Amino acid sequence: MVEVKTLVSNPVLVIGAGVAGLTAATQLADFGIRTVLVDRLPIVGGNAMDLYKAFPTDDCSYCFEGSRLRPGIRKCFYRSAILDQPNIDLKVNTEVTEISGSPGKFQAKLSVGPQYIDSKKCIMCGLCIECSNAFCLPSPQCQPQAVIYDPEMSDEGAKKAEEECPTKAINLGAQPSEETIQVSDIVIATGYHEMKPVSIDEYGYGKIPNVVTQLELAQILDPNGKSGGALVRPSDGGQVKRVMMVQCVGSRDENYYPFCSKICCVYALKHANIITLERDGTQVTVVYMDIRTYDRHERYYRVARDAGVRFVRGRVSRLEACADGTLDIIAYDSLLDKYLKFNVDLFVLSSALEPPKGSAELIESLSLHPASGFVGPADLTSENAVVAADHVYVCGAATGPAEIPESVTQARAVVSMILQSRK
Amino acid sequence: MTETEEKADPPAVMIEPIDISKLDPDFREGIRSMPNGEELSACFACSTCTAACPIASTWKYKPHQLIRMILLGMRKEVLSSEEIWLCLTCFECQERCPQNVRVTDIFFDCKNLAAEEGMIPDSIVGLARELTDKGQLYVVTADWEREDMDLEPEVPGLSTEEFKTILKGTRTGRIVGGDE
Ligand SMILES: Cc1cc2nc3c(=O)[nH]c(=O)nc-3n(C[C@H](O)[C@H](O)[C@H](O)COP(=O)(O)OP(=O)(O)OC[C@H]3O[C@@H](n4cnc5c(N)ncnc54)[C@H](O)[C@@H]3O)c2cc1C
Ligand code: SF4
Ligand code: SF4
Ligand code: SF4
Ligand code: SF4
Repeated sequence: MVEVKTLVSNPVLVIGAGVAGLTAATQLADFGIRTVLVDRLPIVGGNAMDLYKAFPTDDCSYCFEGSRLRPGIRKCFYRSAILDQPNIDLKVNTEVTEISGSPGKFQAKLSVGPQYIDSKKCIMCGLCIECSNAFCLPSPQCQPQAVIYDPEMSDEGAKKAEEECPTKAINLGAQPSEETIQVSDIVIATGYHEMKPVSIDEYGYGKIPNVVTQLELAQILDPNGKSGGALVRPSDGGQVKRVMMVQCVGSRDENYYPFCSKICCVYALKHANIITLERDGTQVTVVYMDIRTYDRHERYYRVARDAGVRFVRGRVSRLEACADGTLDIIAYDSLLDKYLKFNVDLFVLSSALEPPKGSAELIESLSLHPASGFVGPADLTSENAVVAADHVYVCGAATGPAEIPESVTQARAVVSMILQSRK
Repeated sequence: MTETEEKADPPAVMIEPIDISKLDPDFREGIRSMPNGEELSACFACSTCTAACPIASTWKYKPHQLIRMILLGMRKEVLSSEEIWLCLTCFECQERCPQNVRVTDIFFDCKNLAAEEGMIPDSIVGLARELTDKGQLYVVTADWEREDMDLEPEVPGLSTEEFKTILKGTRTGRIVGGDE
């Protein structure tokens, strides 16, 4: 092991600091490989930051089962990885704008956003948040452990905070910068984006406040969230008594994304079960075309039926917002060949998981194979699904919708490939 | 401020939808709490039961639909359906159900519930009356066959009187007893 550590020094660029990118970066770093980890957001964790309980085990430890050296839940894991591992150079608010050079010797141009807050200095005392709404703490466990600043909301209070910050961590005049780094390998871990289904008129998303997506529901259910995990209506904070979910919104639809987003059935039922079993007396109805709780996740479907979640195979035919904030919904039940009428407080859309912004450019700049907009393998017939090109790897939801355990497994495969290539 | 958006009447719906709030969730729980209903909620509407059933092709509500209606709480529709009475209790559906739903037994329970509420088809009441009136369902009439086989014309020792008395005190008697 020690030998490996001294042998290698060419840094690896990991794009995206979700579970996949974090796993790849920390494991590479643990093996002595310098890693530059970039994410365009101010905090790491990606989409998994907002998940309350995670399938398949309803906690977080599963995904890092192999990381015995770093026990604990997902968020603690990030902390120990990012604070303690000197081989990781974490750059948040950062995007890769250009990639040139040749495999093994890439030049990557990074555009680094203004570093308004020095995360090494911030002690999260909260003074700035008291002074101005421009500062906020995205989550008590966020990484880096620091507040974030939104320049668009700047006011007099922000200037006061800058002066009074006990550790002088604030610099409102910070400017964006650019740097070019040379890297040996590139790991694409850019994940997914949950589609905002504004253009699917029949569901009223974006117009009716009590129509939300699954990821937005996850945020409502998160004990760290605004309502402390209470299931409340976005329109007025009132308690939710009846929920309806609709599956395959924008997925398996030639007008949007022809593919199945693969995990929405599982997390929809995860949410349905949490609501039915942990939020007293709340009735959940799921309107679906097929329930695809693949392999071991069938358990969620079985538990949901047992818990009394109502399933309607069919589609929503009409939705109407009522004056009291509820929604009147008529759904067609294709099994009964009948129309059913419901009144619900919250309408949740299982919206398609699409490639994040910038994927097409990234794929083009490295001449990769697109797979429904995500990053496909270099060789479809090879077992190396994580090899996207010579010295370019892909893992996690950047390959297409993927669950956390799968994302982590792929990240480890990438680490193993890079280590082998350097032997 | 001017009222720009006129409140339009909701577009007419041709078929009145079934109002879920008017259904009876206790029906589902009631059936589920009976010994045969343990696996009721496991049904995922695969329709294996309907595929297995030898006679459902002529039914308005197929077995998987009836189970679904129970799950939704459509008490009135299920208990007044003629299908539960047309069921042959052949157990084909129950044998094949991949989720161990006791389809046949549940339909049987439905018949009992329907009977308790007096919802029994006339043909069934007729059968019950036959039973209480005669003390037996099939009266032996083919005397010549018995003769060919060297049997006495009457079934020896057959006495239907006791049966009539006993049946009067049972549910069968009560079903018929309405006109007493
Ligand atoms: C509602 C919901 C519930 C879920 N529940 C579960 C669950 O219970 N269990 C489970 O296993 N999975 C669950 N998932 C799936 C889980 O979110 C994903 O498996 C996981 O987030 C994938 O991690 P990732 O690192 O591949 O991608 P992401 O989490 O998407 O992270 C990608 C990161 O890359 C960054 N990025 C993207 N493009 C760029 C770029 N060009 N430059 C710089 N940075 C970039 C993003 O900002 C992001 O931080 C759920 C998903 C949803 C939507
Ligand atoms: S005042 Fe300074 S140290 Fe305190 S939370 Fe704000 S930035 Fe951090
Ligand atoms: S996982 Fe389920 S909801 Fe998602 S696209 Fe596939 S079938 Fe539809
Ligand atoms: S076979 Fe069983 S699971 Fe399938 S529809 Fe019939 S009762 Fe339901
Ligand atoms: S038991 Fe009844 S419902 Fe089941 S297969 Fe036989 S006839 Fe059909």
